[in-house]
Amino acid sequence: MEFKRVVGTRRSVRWLKPWRPVEREKIQVMLEAANRASRSMNADYPRALVVNRDDIPEEVRETLYNPTTSVELDLAPTYIFWYIDMNYAQGAPDRLKELVKQHALSPSHGWSESYVDKFLWPQVLKPIAENPAILMFMGATEVGIAICNALNAAVDEGLGTCLHAFTAPEKVKQAFNVPDSWFPVWLQLVGYPLEEPEAGGQRPRKSLSYMFFEGNCDTPWKEDEKVTEKLKEEGLIQTPGPFPYREQEVRMLSRMFGLPE
Amino acid sequence: MSVENIKTVESVKHWIEDAGYNSPKRSQEVEHLLNELSDFCDFTEKDPDELVESCLRTTKSGDISISAKGRREIDDTIGEFVKSKGLSGHNAIVVGNNIRGFLIHNGVFMQGKVSL
Repeated sequence: MEFKRVVGTRRSVRWLKPWRPVEREKIQVMLEAANRASRSMNADYPRALVVNRDDIPEEVRETLYNPTTSVELDLAPTYIFWYIDMNYAQGAPDRLKELVKQHALSPSHGWSESYVDKFLWPQVLKPIAENPAILMFMGATEVGIAICNALNAAVDEGLGTCLHAFTAPEKVKQAFNVPDSWFPVWLQLVGYPLEEPEAGGQRPRKSLSYMFFEGNCDTPWKEDEKVTEKLKEEGLIQTPGPFPYREQEVRMLSRMFGLPE
Repeated sequence: MSVENIKTVESVKHWIEDAGYNSPKRSQEVEHLLNELSDFCDFTEKDPDELVESCLRTTKSGDISISAKGRREIDDTIGEFVKSKGLSGHNAIVVGNNIRGFLIHNGVFMQGKVSL
Protein backbone atom coordinates (compact mmCIF):
# COMPACT_ATOMS: atom_id res chain seq x y z
CA MET A 1 0.00 0.00 0.00
CA GLU A 2 1.25 3.50 -0.74
CA PHE A 3 2.32 5.51 2.30
CA LYS A 4 -0.45 8.10 2.05
CA ARG A 5 -3.11 5.42 1.74
CA VAL A 6 -1.68 3.60 4.78
CA VAL A 7 -1.91 6.74 6.88
CA GLY A 8 -5.37 7.53 5.56
CA THR A 9 -6.63 4.00 6.12
CA ARG A 10 -5.32 3.68 9.65
CA ARG A 11 -8.02 3.96 12.28
CA SER A 12 -8.87 2.04 15.40
CA VAL A 13 -10.27 -1.31 14.36
CA ARG A 14 -12.01 -2.84 17.36
CA TRP A 15 -13.75 -5.72 15.64
CA LEU A 16 -11.17 -8.36 14.92
CA LYS A 17 -11.51 -11.96 13.78
CA PRO A 18 -10.86 -13.88 17.00
CA TRP A 19 -10.37 -17.11 15.08
CA ARG A 20 -7.63 -15.94 12.72
CA PRO A 21 -4.12 -15.81 14.13
CA VAL A 22 -1.69 -13.17 12.99
CA GLU A 23 1.36 -14.47 11.18
CA ARG A 24 4.55 -13.98 13.14
CA GLU A 25 6.16 -12.39 10.06
CA LYS A 26 3.62 -9.58 10.15
CA ILE A 27 4.33 -8.86 13.79
CA GLN A 28 8.02 -8.73 12.95
CA VAL A 29 7.30 -6.12 10.29
CA MET A 30 5.49 -4.03 12.91
CA LEU A 31 8.32 -4.38 15.42
CA GLU A 32 10.92 -3.48 12.82
CA ALA A 33 8.92 -0.39 11.86
CA ALA A 34 8.79 0.60 15.53
CA ASN A 35 12.49 -0.01 15.92
CA ARG A 36 13.23 2.25 12.94
CA ALA A 37 11.25 5.18 14.35
CA SER A 38 12.85 8.51 15.14
CA ARG A 39 14.41 8.49 18.61
CA SER A 40 16.36 11.23 20.33
CA MET A 41 19.84 10.28 21.61
CA ASN A 42 19.34 7.14 19.52
CA ALA A 43 18.14 5.73 22.83
CA ASP A 44 16.28 2.47 23.31
CA TYR A 45 12.99 3.92 24.55
CA PRO A 46 10.41 1.44 23.29
CA ARG A 47 10.07 -2.04 24.66
CA ALA A 48 7.34 -4.40 23.63
CA LEU A 49 6.03 -7.73 24.79
CA VAL A 50 4.17 -9.70 22.10
CA VAL A 51 1.74 -12.28 23.37
CA ASN A 52 -0.70 -14.43 21.45
CA ARG A 53 -4.01 -14.64 23.27
CA ASP A 54 -4.33 -18.39 22.91
CA ASP A 55 -0.87 -19.00 24.32
CA ILE A 56 -1.78 -17.32 27.60
CA PRO A 57 -2.79 -19.80 30.30
CA GLU A 58 -6.47 -19.45 31.16
CA GLU A 59 -5.72 -18.52 34.78
CA VAL A 60 -3.46 -15.67 33.63
CA ARG A 61 -5.95 -14.44 31.04
CA GLU A 62 -8.65 -14.28 33.68
CA THR A 63 -6.52 -11.88 35.70
CA LEU A 64 -6.30 -9.47 32.75
CA TYR A 65 -10.07 -9.04 32.48
CA ASN A 66 -11.99 -6.41 34.35
CA PRO A 67 -15.43 -4.83 33.87
CA THR A 68 -13.99 -2.30 31.41
CA THR A 69 -11.65 -4.55 29.44
CA SER A 70 -12.76 -7.89 28.16
CA VAL A 71 -14.23 -7.56 24.68
CA GLU A 72 -10.97 -6.44 23.10
CA LEU A 73 -8.98 -9.14 24.87
CA ASP A 74 -11.33 -11.81 23.56
CA LEU A 75 -11.49 -10.55 19.99
CA ALA A 76 -7.82 -9.80 19.38
CA PRO A 77 -5.61 -12.82 18.71
CA THR A 78 -2.41 -10.91 19.42
CA TYR A 79 -1.54 -8.38 22.10
CA ILE A 80 1.48 -6.11 22.07
CA PHE A 81 2.20 -4.57 25.44
CA TRP A 82 4.18 -1.39 24.86
CA TYR A 83 6.50 0.05 27.50
CA ILE A 84 9.02 2.80 28.03
CA ASP A 85 12.31 1.47 29.29
CA MET A 86 12.96 4.12 31.92
CA ASN A 87 16.67 3.29 31.77
CA TYR A 88 16.80 4.63 28.23
CA ALA A 89 19.22 7.44 29.04
CA GLN A 90 21.89 5.00 30.16
CA GLY A 91 24.64 4.76 27.58
CA ALA A 92 23.55 7.94 25.82
CA PRO A 93 27.10 9.36 25.48
CA ASP A 94 28.34 6.22 23.74
CA ARG A 95 25.37 6.12 21.40
CA LEU A 96 25.77 9.77 20.48
CA LYS A 97 29.50 9.39 19.90
CA GLU A 98 28.71 6.43 17.65
CA LEU A 99 26.54 8.76 15.59
CA VAL A 100 29.35 11.33 15.49
CA LYS A 101 31.70 8.60 14.20
CA GLN A 102 29.14 7.70 11.52
CA HIS A 103 28.89 11.37 10.49
CA ALA A 104 25.20 11.28 11.24
CA LEU A 105 26.00 14.02 13.76
CA SER A 106 28.73 16.18 12.30
CA PRO A 107 30.81 19.26 13.10
CA SER A 108 28.80 21.11 10.43
CA HIS A 109 25.97 21.07 12.96
CA GLY A 110 28.19 21.63 15.98
CA TRP A 111 28.70 18.03 17.02
CA SER A 112 31.91 16.44 18.29
CA GLU A 113 32.78 13.61 20.65
CA SER A 114 34.26 16.18 23.03
CA TYR A 115 31.00 18.09 23.14
CA VAL A 116 29.15 14.90 24.05
CA ASP A 117 31.60 13.99 26.84
CA LYS A 118 32.34 17.42 28.28
CA PHE A 119 29.06 19.26 27.98
CA LEU A 120 26.08 17.42 26.56
CA TRP A 121 26.07 14.50 28.95
CA PRO A 122 27.00 16.21 32.24
CA GLN A 123 25.09 19.44 31.67
CA VAL A 124 22.05 18.42 29.62
CA LEU A 125 21.37 14.74 29.45
CA LYS A 126 22.40 13.62 32.93
CA PRO A 127 20.10 16.18 34.59
CA ILE A 128 17.31 14.95 32.30
CA ALA A 129 18.05 11.37 33.28
CA GLU A 130 17.73 12.39 36.92
CA ASN A 131 14.45 14.26 36.49
CA PRO A 132 11.51 11.83 36.62
CA ALA A 133 9.05 14.25 34.99
CA ILE A 134 11.26 14.97 31.97
CA LEU A 135 12.29 11.33 31.78
CA MET A 136 8.62 10.34 31.58
CA PHE A 137 7.72 13.10 29.11
CA MET A 138 10.53 12.18 26.72
CA GLY A 139 9.91 8.47 27.11
CA ALA A 140 6.21 8.78 26.39
CA THR A 141 6.82 10.98 23.36
CA GLU A 142 9.45 8.73 21.84
CA VAL A 143 7.59 5.49 22.49
CA GLY A 144 4.49 7.10 20.97
CA ILE A 145 6.43 7.71 17.77
CA ALA A 146 7.54 4.08 17.68
CA ILE A 147 4.00 2.82 18.28
CA CYS A 148 2.75 5.04 15.47
CA ASN A 149 5.10 3.25 13.08
CA ALA A 150 3.86 -0.10 14.35
CA LEU A 151 0.23 0.95 13.81
CA ASN A 152 0.90 2.05 10.25
CA ALA A 153 2.91 -1.09 9.53
CA ALA A 154 -0.03 -3.20 10.72
CA VAL A 155 -2.34 -1.40 8.30
CA ASP A 156 0.17 -1.93 5.50
CA GLU A 157 0.15 -5.65 6.30
CA GLY A 158 -3.64 -5.78 5.97
CA LEU A 159 -4.20 -6.07 9.70
CA GLY A 160 -6.62 -4.29 11.98
CA THR A 161 -5.24 -2.73 15.11
CA CYS A 162 -6.04 -0.32 17.87
CA LEU A 163 -4.52 0.95 21.07
CA HIS A 164 -6.19 0.22 24.36
CA ALA A 165 -5.54 1.42 27.88
CA PHE A 166 -2.95 -0.83 29.44
CA THR A 167 -4.79 -3.46 31.40
CA ALA A 168 -3.70 -4.90 34.74
CA PRO A 169 -0.04 -3.77 34.49
CA GLU A 170 0.99 -5.41 37.74
CA LYS A 171 -0.52 -8.73 36.70
CA VAL A 172 1.08 -8.54 33.27
CA LYS A 173 4.39 -7.75 34.93
CA GLN A 174 4.15 -10.75 37.20
CA ALA A 175 2.85 -13.17 34.58
CA PHE A 176 5.39 -12.33 31.89
CA ASN A 177 8.47 -11.34 33.91
CA VAL A 178 8.43 -7.72 32.83
CA PRO A 179 11.55 -5.88 34.08
CA ASP A 180 11.15 -3.28 36.83
CA SER A 181 12.46 -0.49 34.60
CA TRP A 182 9.66 -0.88 32.05
CA PHE A 183 6.79 1.57 32.40
CA PRO A 184 3.48 0.57 30.73
CA VAL A 185 2.22 2.80 27.92
CA TRP A 186 -0.34 1.17 25.62
CA LEU A 187 -1.77 -2.21 24.86
CA GLN A 188 -1.89 -2.67 21.09
CA LEU A 189 -4.45 -5.18 19.87
CA VAL A 190 -3.76 -6.84 16.55
CA GLY A 191 -5.75 -9.12 14.28
CA TYR A 192 -7.56 -9.34 11.00
CA PRO A 193 -10.47 -6.91 10.67
CA LEU A 194 -13.88 -8.47 11.06
CA GLU A 195 -15.56 -5.20 10.24
CA GLU A 196 -15.12 -3.53 6.85
CA PRO A 197 -11.51 -2.34 6.60
CA GLU A 198 -12.79 1.25 6.50
CA ALA A 199 -14.31 0.62 9.95
CA GLY A 200 -17.27 2.84 9.19
CA GLY A 201 -15.34 5.60 7.46
CA GLN A 202 -12.52 7.98 8.23
CA ARG A 203 -12.74 9.56 11.66
CA PRO A 204 -13.63 13.23 11.93
CA ARG A 205 -10.75 15.68 12.14
CA LYS A 206 -10.72 19.44 12.43
CA SER A 207 -9.44 21.30 9.36
CA LEU A 208 -5.77 22.14 8.91
CA SER A 209 -6.67 25.80 9.33
CA TYR A 210 -8.04 25.03 12.78
CA MET A 211 -5.17 22.81 13.84
CA PHE A 212 -2.10 24.46 12.36
CA PHE A 213 -0.57 27.87 11.77
CA GLU A 214 1.91 29.51 9.47
CA GLY A 215 4.31 32.32 10.28
CA ASN A 216 2.69 33.08 13.59
CA CYS A 217 -0.12 31.65 15.64
CA ASP A 218 -2.55 34.32 14.47
CA THR A 219 -2.34 33.01 10.92
CA PRO A 220 -4.09 29.71 10.32
CA TRP A 221 -2.60 27.34 7.77
CA LYS A 222 -4.38 27.92 4.48
CA GLU A 223 -5.09 24.74 2.58
CA ASP A 224 -4.27 24.53 -1.11
CA GLU A 225 -7.40 22.93 -2.59
CA LYS A 226 -5.39 21.26 -5.34
CA VAL A 227 -3.26 19.49 -2.75
CA THR A 228 -6.36 18.48 -0.81
CA GLU A 229 -7.88 16.98 -3.96
CA LYS A 230 -4.65 15.12 -4.71
CA LEU A 231 -4.64 13.70 -1.18
CA LYS A 232 -8.20 12.48 -1.68
CA GLU A 233 -7.14 10.72 -4.87
CA GLU A 234 -4.16 9.17 -3.11
CA GLY A 235 -6.15 7.96 -0.12
CA LEU A 236 -4.79 10.13 2.68
CA ILE A 237 -8.16 11.82 2.90
CA GLN A 238 -10.98 9.28 2.65
CA THR A 239 -14.75 9.16 2.86
CA PRO A 240 -15.71 10.34 6.31
CA GLY A 241 -17.74 8.18 8.64
CA PRO A 242 -20.28 7.06 9.40
CA PHE A 243 -21.01 4.99 6.34
CA PRO A 244 -24.78 4.62 5.78
CA TYR A 245 -24.69 0.98 6.88
CA ARG A 246 -22.40 1.47 9.87
CA GLU A 247 -25.06 1.24 12.55
CA GLN A 248 -26.36 -1.97 11.03
CA GLU A 249 -22.83 -3.34 10.71
CA VAL A 250 -22.11 -2.78 14.40
CA ARG A 251 -25.48 -4.23 15.38
CA MET A 252 -24.86 -7.39 13.38
CA LEU A 253 -21.37 -7.79 14.81
CA SER A 254 -22.68 -7.25 18.33
CA ARG A 255 -25.28 -9.96 17.83
CA MET A 256 -22.68 -12.32 16.45
CA PHE A 257 -20.86 -12.24 19.78
CA GLY A 258 -23.83 -11.68 22.12
CA LEU A 259 -22.65 -8.18 22.98
CA PRO A 260 -24.83 -5.25 24.03
CA GLU A 261 -26.34 -3.30 21.15
CA MET B 1 -40.79 -4.47 39.38
CA SER B 2 -43.27 -5.24 36.63
CA VAL B 3 -42.52 -4.78 32.96
CA GLU B 4 -45.35 -2.25 32.72
CA ASN B 5 -43.78 -0.16 35.47
CA ILE B 6 -40.28 -0.49 34.09
CA LYS B 7 -41.37 0.91 30.74
CA THR B 8 -42.18 4.23 32.33
CA VAL B 9 -38.80 4.75 34.02
CA GLU B 10 -36.72 7.45 32.29
CA SER B 11 -33.48 5.48 32.31
CA VAL B 12 -35.26 2.55 30.66
CA LYS B 13 -36.93 4.75 28.06
CA HIS B 14 -33.54 6.28 27.33
CA TRP B 15 -31.98 2.83 26.88
CA ILE B 16 -34.66 1.68 24.44
CA GLU B 17 -34.39 4.84 22.40
CA ASP B 18 -30.59 5.20 22.49
CA ALA B 19 -30.04 1.58 21.45
CA GLY B 20 -32.49 1.91 18.57
CA TYR B 21 -34.92 -0.67 19.97
CA ASN B 22 -37.88 1.67 19.53
CA SER B 23 -38.65 0.72 15.95
CA PRO B 24 -42.01 -1.08 15.59
CA LYS B 25 -40.20 -4.05 14.03
CA ARG B 26 -38.39 -4.67 17.31
CA SER B 27 -41.32 -4.52 19.75
CA GLN B 28 -41.13 -8.23 20.61
CA GLU B 29 -37.43 -7.94 21.20
CA VAL B 30 -38.01 -4.97 23.50
CA GLU B 31 -40.59 -6.89 25.49
CA HIS B 32 -38.06 -9.66 25.96
CA LEU B 33 -35.35 -7.23 27.08
CA LEU B 34 -37.68 -5.52 29.51
CA ASN B 35 -38.62 -8.89 30.99
CA GLU B 36 -34.96 -9.66 31.58
CA LEU B 37 -34.37 -6.28 33.19
CA SER B 38 -37.48 -6.68 35.30
CA ASP B 39 -36.23 -10.07 36.52
CA PHE B 40 -32.85 -8.56 37.31
CA CYS B 41 -34.51 -5.77 39.29
CA ASP B 42 -36.38 -8.38 41.30
CA PHE B 43 -33.17 -10.34 41.80
CA THR B 44 -31.31 -7.31 43.15
CA GLU B 45 -34.34 -5.72 44.83
CA LYS B 46 -33.44 -2.48 43.05
CA ASP B 47 -35.33 -0.43 40.51
CA PRO B 48 -33.58 0.50 37.22
CA ASP B 49 -32.50 3.92 38.47
CA GLU B 50 -31.03 2.35 41.58
CA LEU B 51 -29.08 -0.08 39.41
CA VAL B 52 -27.49 2.83 37.58
CA GLU B 53 -26.89 4.72 40.82
CA SER B 54 -25.16 1.72 42.37
CA CYS B 55 -22.47 2.08 39.67
CA LEU B 56 -21.92 5.76 40.50
CA ARG B 57 -20.41 7.75 43.33
CA THR B 58 -20.15 11.38 44.32
CA THR B 59 -16.60 12.68 44.40
CA LYS B 60 -15.21 15.04 47.06
CA SER B 61 -15.71 17.92 44.64
CA GLY B 62 -19.37 16.97 44.26
CA ASP B 63 -19.10 15.50 40.76
CA ILE B 64 -20.81 12.25 39.84
CA SER B 65 -18.31 9.63 38.81
CA ILE B 66 -18.37 5.93 37.97
CA SER B 67 -17.64 3.81 41.01
CA ALA B 68 -15.18 1.06 40.10
CA LYS B 69 -16.30 -0.89 43.18
CA GLY B 70 -20.01 -0.41 42.44
CA ARG B 71 -19.56 -1.38 38.82
CA ARG B 72 -17.61 -4.49 39.72
CA GLU B 73 -20.28 -5.51 42.23
CA ILE B 74 -23.05 -5.08 39.67
CA ASP B 75 -20.99 -6.98 37.12
CA ASP B 76 -20.59 -9.83 39.60
CA THR B 77 -24.29 -9.69 40.41
CA ILE B 78 -25.13 -9.99 36.72
CA GLY B 79 -23.03 -13.16 36.69
CA GLU B 80 -24.91 -14.51 39.71
CA PHE B 81 -28.26 -13.59 38.18
CA VAL B 82 -27.51 -15.43 34.96
CA LYS B 83 -26.38 -18.46 36.93
CA SER B 84 -29.54 -18.36 39.06
CA LYS B 85 -31.61 -18.63 35.88
CA GLY B 86 -29.78 -21.81 34.97
CA LEU B 87 -28.32 -20.26 31.85
CA SER B 88 -24.97 -21.15 30.40
CA GLY B 89 -22.91 -20.60 27.26
CA HIS B 90 -24.19 -18.21 24.59
CA ASN B 91 -27.56 -17.58 26.27
CA ALA B 92 -25.93 -16.67 29.56
CA ILE B 93 -23.63 -14.20 27.83
CA VAL B 94 -26.47 -12.61 25.86
CA VAL B 95 -28.73 -12.14 28.89
CA GLY B 96 -25.88 -10.71 30.95
CA ASN B 97 -24.87 -8.36 28.17
CA ASN B 98 -28.46 -7.20 27.64
CA ILE B 99 -28.50 -5.99 31.23
CA ARG B 100 -25.07 -4.44 30.79
CA GLY B 101 -26.51 -2.69 27.72
CA PHE B 102 -29.07 -0.95 29.94
CA LEU B 103 -26.28 0.35 32.19
CA ILE B 104 -24.02 1.25 29.26
CA HIS B 105 -26.67 3.37 27.56
CA ASN B 106 -27.09 5.18 30.86
CA GLY B 107 -23.44 6.14 30.91
CA VAL B 108 -21.80 3.29 32.82
CA PHE B 109 -18.82 2.17 30.75
CA MET B 110 -18.47 -1.56 31.08
CA GLN B 111 -17.85 -4.64 28.98
CA GLY B 112 -19.17 -8.14 29.22
CA LYS B 113 -18.03 -11.49 28.01
CA VAL B 114 -17.85 -12.33 24.33
CA SER B 115 -19.67 -15.39 23.04
CA LEU B 116 -17.05 -17.23 21.02
